[in-house]
Amino acid sequence: MSFDKNTNPLKLHHLVGDMEADYIYTPGVAGDKFFKALRDDEKFLATHCESCNHTYMPPRMYCERCFSKLDKWVEAESTGVVDTYSLAHEDRDGEKLAEPVIVAFIRIDKTDGGIIHQLGGVDHESVKIGMKVKAVLKDKSKRTGGLNDIDHFAPA
Amino acid sequence: MKEVLFMTVAVVGVGYTDFRSTTPDVSFKEQMFEAAAKAYQDAGVHPRKDIGSFITGAEDYWEGYSIFDEFVPDQLGATLRPVCTISGDGLQALLTGAMQVKTGLMDVVAVESHSAASDLLSFHGIVSHGLDPVYNRNMNVNPFFVAGLEMRKYLSETKASREQCARVVTKNKLNAMDNPLAAYPAVMSIEEVMKSEMVSNPLTRRDISPLADGAIVMVLASEKKAKELSENPIWLKGMSWISETPWLESRDWSDATYARLSSEKAFKMADITNPQKQLDLVEVDDWFSYKELQHLEAIGVCEKGQAGKLLEQGQFDRDGDTPVNVSGGRLGAGNLLEASSLQSVLECVIQLRGHAGKRQIKGAHTAAAQSWRGVPTATGSMLVLSNEK
Repeated sequence: MSFDKNTNPLKLHHLVGDMEADYIYTPGVAGDKFFKALRDDEKFLATHCESCNHTYMPPRMYCERCFSKLDKWVEAESTGVVDTYSLAHEDRDGEKLAEPVIVAFIRIDKTDGGIIHQLGGVDHESVKIGMKVKAVLKDKSKRTGGLNDIDHFAPA
Repeated sequence: MKEVLFMTVAVVGVGYTDFRSTTPDVSFKEQMFEAAAKAYQDAGVHPRKDIGSFITGAEDYWEGYSIFDEFVPDQLGATLRPVCTISGDGLQALLTGAMQVKTGLMDVVAVESHSAASDLLSFHGIVSHGLDPVYNRNMNVNPFFVAGLEMRKYLSETKASREQCARVVTKNKLNAMDNPLAAYPAVMSIEEVMKSEMVSNPLTRRDISPLADGAIVMVLASEKKAKELSENPIWLKGMSWISETPWLESRDWSDATYARLSSEKAFKMADITNPQKQLDLVEVDDWFSYKELQHLEAIGVCEKGQAGKLLEQGQFDRDGDTPVNVSGGRLGAGNLLEASSLQSVLECVIQLRGHAGKRQIKGAHTAAAQSWRGVPTATGSMLVLSNEK
């Protein structure tokens, strides 16, 4: 199209360099407890700051508001409300997905935070901000102790 | 001591390349050299004897170099001198330079930022790497889904329309037609924006600023030195920068809080009580179309939910009450990654000097440049500039 210009450097004289960068990431004390409770007991654990009356989901070992250490754990719900959503048409490399994915930020009940995940069992056109949803977990044998132990969120 | 801290720092020189979709003929170092040489000539200084410190705003991942800091001194004339890289955008580097001048340890500081975006083969992968690895990288989708989520929330909360977002794109590309530096000027229809392919609904391809290459250098000077060096110093009247929580799950999602808080502080420093009346032009971050509207509301140019309507009424056009992104912004001049915020400052300086040619805002006296570091950050800065001390 006439509005576009060449942004593909591979069409031009160049040398190729590859920056290999592989890492492991540690979920930490809070993340470890959260993911194990989700995997083994199907529970959503959160941490609570009493001085700020603020409940962290995902849980954290410290309060970003008052900078105190948090050690009070509370059980949250596996339900929540769609705060906002988007229909993603491309994969993480910017290539077109065969099937678009509905991504949502879900405010988890009994917390002040939430989880970003995909919605299932619902058409994009039927999703509404404020819609009640519930976590659908993977079969126990397929869980790995990560956020993908939640398969998706579905209308509650 | 007090005298130093409360002095006003000025921009006394600017240098830049033009902004292009690709730069097959020059390396990023050669681009930086071109911008630096022009800036030093503009300021009337020589880097080997007159400049006390050199600062670059850059990120290793964008550059493709580990310890990028090591790759900047020679092309800036900065070897054997104090050099540092701010892992942030060009405006954060500029504010750091202003603080260095305020220490009284150096009279003149050079600040640089650039983009070699066309050298970057894994743009989406690098943006994805900015997402939290434990909680936010689990989905195999374009990382701009974060902007899709925010745009939906913004439209829902403010009742701004999809068309109004598209109008931001057409306005900024049209503004870029009169900016000879711009990479993506166009007379584009609202329909063209609306019918472009969907990336992360409601965000379409044309709502996203296209990447460009370029380099910008600015020379800052102390109050005393600025008066010696320049007939038209542009004074830095107010500045601030803020980072919100990095946790997407702890964000408000409906407000650009970083923009509100950083502008409140910068405006207080600059005695701006009514931004709509007192600012003759505003450059705000428009990485995505809706961001311009959200930022205008956050910095107080208008009430929340009003920006779309005012845009339609022409208030933010070049001949409107508050011209916004006269340069073309990221959408029209090109997305220069960390350097786009310096592009915003550059436009303010050119306008306040009265050198903007066809796009000159007549009688421009005070201007503001606001920045945002892009998805998934909630980090932003504000700088108020004036041609009167």
